[in-house]
Amino acid sequence: MIEIQDVVKEYRMGPTTVTALASVSLYIAQGEFVAIVGPSGSGKSTLMNIIGCLDTPDDGSYRLAGEEVAELDASELAEVRNLRIGFVFQVFNLLPRATALENVALPLVYRGVGAGRRQRRAEEMLERVGLADRMDHLPSELSGGQRQRVAIARALIGSPSVILADEPTGALDTTTGREIMELFEELHTEGVTVVLVTHELELAEGTNRTIRLRDGMVQPAAAPPAPQGQNAHQQSAVAPEGQPRPLALGQEGRV
Amino acid sequence: MRLAANLIMLWENIAMSFRSIFSSKGRAFLTALGVMIGVASVITLTGLGQGARAQVEEDLTRLGANLLIVYSGEPTTSTQLVRPRTTRIRPTLTEEDLAAIKALPENQVVLTAAESTLEGQLKFENRNMAATVVGTEPAYPEIRNFQPAYGSFFTASDAEHRRNVVAIGAEVYRTLFPDGRDPIGQSIRINGHAFRVTGVMEEKGSPTQDASVLIPLSTYRRRLSGEDSFAMINVQASSLEVMYELQERIEQELLGLRRLPSMDLANFYVANQMDVIGAATGVADTFTLMLAGIAAISLIVGGIGIMNIMLVSVTERTREIGIRMALGARASHLMTQFLTEAVLLSAGGGLIGIAAGYALSWALQHFAGLASAISPEAVIMAFSFALATGLFFGGYPAYRASRLDPIEALRYE
Repeated sequence: MIEIQDVVKEYRMGPTTVTALASVSLYIAQGEFVAIVGPSGSGKSTLMNIIGCLDTPDDGSYRLAGEEVAELDASELAEVRNLRIGFVFQVFNLLPRATALENVALPLVYRGVGAGRRQRRAEEMLERVGLADRMDHLPSELSGGQRQRVAIARALIGSPSVILADEPTGALDTTTGREIMELFEELHTEGVTVVLVTHELELAEGTNRTIRLRDGMVQPAAAPPAPQGQNAHQQSAVAPEGQPRPLALGQEGRV
Repeated sequence: MRLAANLIMLWENIAMSFRSIFSSKGRAFLTALGVMIGVASVITLTGLGQGARAQVEEDLTRLGANLLIVYSGEPTTSTQLVRPRTTRIRPTLTEEDLAAIKALPENQVVLTAAESTLEGQLKFENRNMAATVVGTEPAYPEIRNFQPAYGSFFTASDAEHRRNVVAIGAEVYRTLFPDGRDPIGQSIRINGHAFRVTGVMEEKGSPTQDASVLIPLSTYRRRLSGEDSFAMINVQASSLEVMYELQERIEQELLGLRRLPSMDLANFYVANQMDVIGAATGVADTFTLMLAGIAAISLIVGGIGIMNIMLVSVTERTREIGIRMALGARASHLMTQFLTEAVLLSAGGGLIGIAAGYALSWALQHFAGLASAISPEAVIMAFSFALATGLFFGGYPAYRASRLDPIEALRYE
């Protein structure tokens, strides 16, 4: 699903060059529930931006659902984000003037889906995250946990290849945070690929696998994914889950 | 598929813009206010300009419709159709000239009336006055749109028998009959000759016409001037369209009779109502254009207002832009979203401006007595200009929005 090979990212800050990612390679299979952990400054945010197709690497390869996305332009990246990525942010990032339903439907607007189908689909998603009775509420009328559920519903609506959650419990109290983690666990058992980016090791323990990042490099894992994992990488690089799905806007049929 | 998706996007953009505009009505109103004032002033000011033009046109056609006047002598430099002091003209036009004009086809010449004038002395009982004595033909009231208000004009029979009959101007009536006596049938003296009054002409507000008396040309020649030639020939053309062609025909006919090669040596000239209307309305049009220019500047200032607020709005909504980008909005989506908002603001301002323009023109007409004529063209032009202003001045803020980096925008507080 996510195949990252020797990815390098550097930032120029005046005369000096800061290396955010030295050489990162990682593989995440479809249906996995993975945590990417690392202290601040480890390159975690940069990696997340690249995985989320908000940024492109300076060097290396990134294949998402079988498609090379490392050298796409801004407009193509937007299309990939729309079709393949579901973002969940720490601060929810809902549009304040739009209702829960409108927020959830937003990704489908940029896919050109008609209003009726958008609404039906958004209603399904809100039911799925347990907010059937809050559809017409504005974000300001919802609690933190409810807002994050709306954000998760919005991430799910486009049937993305991966849900990318950046510190999703960071702005929530412990109990609510745990509920959100349970929701991710549930989605995982339903077959959704979830990548959790966090600095809390404790949170990462709830996932199947933890990828540790330090100084722009992936740390060798204490319990590394078995050599089979490597094999799977090799194999999937040849033929990842059958036919690669074409990237096109005409895919709302799947929605 | 692609088209359908684009239509859905366009509709979404309009819906989003409406929501954004309605969520801050006060600000939206102030933003559109400049365009509103601009459109209203374009409409009001061009309306005033066009009103002035219409009035000039009306004043001129009041002299008579489709009027050509053949004058004796050299052309004057003034653009007037009807010269104020016709009594100084030395008559050079002849019966042959008149016959030649009358012989022109009916689809060009409708009516003719030869005319000569002199300064005369009027006397009735013990009252005297100086007046312009006009000798002319029965078709004169029709051609010059100068009708008797009371009684009648002299007839063809009067002209044929060279009767001493007269139609008097309104001013003449007031001076000679201050007691308001019925003047019909009364005998007044013109340069010592007795004339029977047949009618009083309508008041035109022009001293030359109101202080004149009109008598048959045949009588005028026999009793007053003793000349065979006359000063002017009034010609009514069949329509405005044939006027230049007719002028050309008349010039050629009269030059032919004089065996002259061109108008340079002619002892006559033709004044054309079209020329006079053209000159006068040209002035009014320049005036209109100047007013429209001033108003257009205020529209541009309104556009700058839109740009200002849109730039603020883009900055305020940086986070929203970041979210939309993360969810898959492309640069073109954000560009159209903000452009749509700017255009809707200017369109709204434009519509209110049109209403305000009409209201203001109505008020100026009814309370200040100004002439105003709003043309649909001016309204359409002002509105299109407002839309173009929105598009142009909304362009830069929209471009700024579309060029934001999604990562930075998401981090924006």
